[in-house]
Amino acid sequence: MNLFALTVLSGIFVAAASGLVGSFLILRRMALMSDAMSHVALPGIAVGVLLRFNPLLGGLAFLFLGVLLIWLIETKTKLAAESVTGVMFVTALAIGALLIPQQDLLEAFFGSVEKITATQLLFQTLIAVGIIAFILVFMKKLTLFSIAPDLATSIKLSPVKLELVLLTLIALTITIGISFVGILLMSAIAIMPAAAARNLARSFTQFIALSVTLAAVSLTAGLVIGFFYPSLNPGVVTVLASSLLFLISLIR
Amino acid sequence: MGNNLLEVKDLSVVLDGKHIIQNISFGLRSQEVLAVIGPNGAGKSALLKTITGIVKKTSGEVVFAPGVKIGYLPQRFHVDFYLPMTVKEFLRLKPDHKYSLGEVLKLVDIPEIWLNQNLATFSSGQLQKILLAWAIIDQPDILLFDEPTENVDIVSQESIYDLLHELQDALGISVIIVSHDLNVVYKYANAVLCLNEKMLCYGEPSSLTNETLSALYGDHAFFHHHHFGEHRNTNNENGETLGSPSSINSND
Repeated sequence: MNLFALTVLSGIFVAAASGLVGSFLILRRMALMSDAMSHVALPGIAVGVLLRFNPLLGGLAFLFLGVLLIWLIETKTKLAAESVTGVMFVTALAIGALLIPQQDLLEAFFGSVEKITATQLLFQTLIAVGIIAFILVFMKKLTLFSIAPDLATSIKLSPVKLELVLLTLIALTITIGISFVGILLMSAIAIMPAAAARNLARSFTQFIALSVTLAAVSLTAGLVIGFFYPSLNPGVVTVLASSLLFLISLIR
Repeated sequence: MGNNLLEVKDLSVVLDGKHIIQNISFGLRSQEVLAVIGPNGAGKSALLKTITGIVKKTSGEVVFAPGVKIGYLPQRFHVDFYLPMTVKEFLRLKPDHKYSLGEVLKLVDIPEIWLNQNLATFSSGQLQKILLAWAIIDQPDILLFDEPTENVDIVSQESIYDLLHELQDALGISVIIVSHDLNVVYKYANAVLCLNEKMLCYGEPSSLTNETLSALYGDHAFFHHHHFGEHRNTNNENGETLGSPSSINSND
């Protein structure tokens, strides 16, 4: 299989995972969370670039730290997690931008599909499949927790644990999505497809299926158009495709 | 704990330095209907939430007999207007169904056509029936019912109590009802607990004295007409009963 075909295939799995995670963020009214959190990856990416190891591993490490911090603040203190996330993400962005060379900064922001290696694609696909499988297994629990935390507690589910699970899923999704669409454009495959799906769906099954499909369609469109028109950035095209689908969902 | 399904001992909850409930003790026998009454802000909902585990107790004990399962109906169940979920999908979020969907619909008197309709299309009164179906579908031993205080009209409130009563008869479950309405006590309960942060009475409904009630609600003049049901046509726009205990000595 050539590298482009592998990229598209891997992209479909990554987009599907993002669409799934995004659905729960939409249900929990945390739409901007993935956007804000993705910035936290930047200092880690910078460290990776500077010390010459895979920048995504650095990004993942920082995202996990970010997740733990947000989770601890949400569950152990009375501070509003939203404002802390806000503070955290601009600080991380500033530190990252300070450390990282200009060219790498742009790639981190908007994705760098052409640089992904076959090995990396394989790892990203495996993580995506893991996220998808995990969500399918725990679908009911995650759904109940997202729409009615009190009912979830009343049947002995732990909202504190589920929150950590969801945040971790966000971190993993961002890590595998960054090389495709970049830090700034993560919502294109996480939030916008889920938001459009919500406008169209008449049931939960439809919502999840549409969310996954629209994310995959957007990213595939970005990758294919970027491949045939190399002057166009695939991440940016993905966002535009995703926005277009969202607009169509509004006028249904 | 004798024959009790639930034993609450010296239960206290302090939130942010404020005493919510103090030293509450009671037991719940099999098939008993216990009404918890008191003015708004008395800690009634907090008591139910503490039993459920949603609110953490500060001290005291909540002990269930081995294997006892609870079903919880929250005071408020906010359904996002855009939540894409059918009644069937919602009911399936609960694990361990003991009744089939058809059986549970019959029990709570819901037409089968509702199953494929979206949750967001139902009125609060109808949603409450759906919640009741959710609460009993796994055959709980104790039903915890927190009476809604807003957006539910008196007629549907009456019918939900009649329904609870029928269910209690048919299934032999125990019920704890949180209410601000004394009619509930006289019509449905065989035990009553008066709560205003502290426990002001606990016993059979017939043991309720005017002294206790005036200590609970501050004014007892209205009782002479209150529990003859005249309140039905004195509804204000919030669905609160005018001249009911809660509006006379509301402390929240």
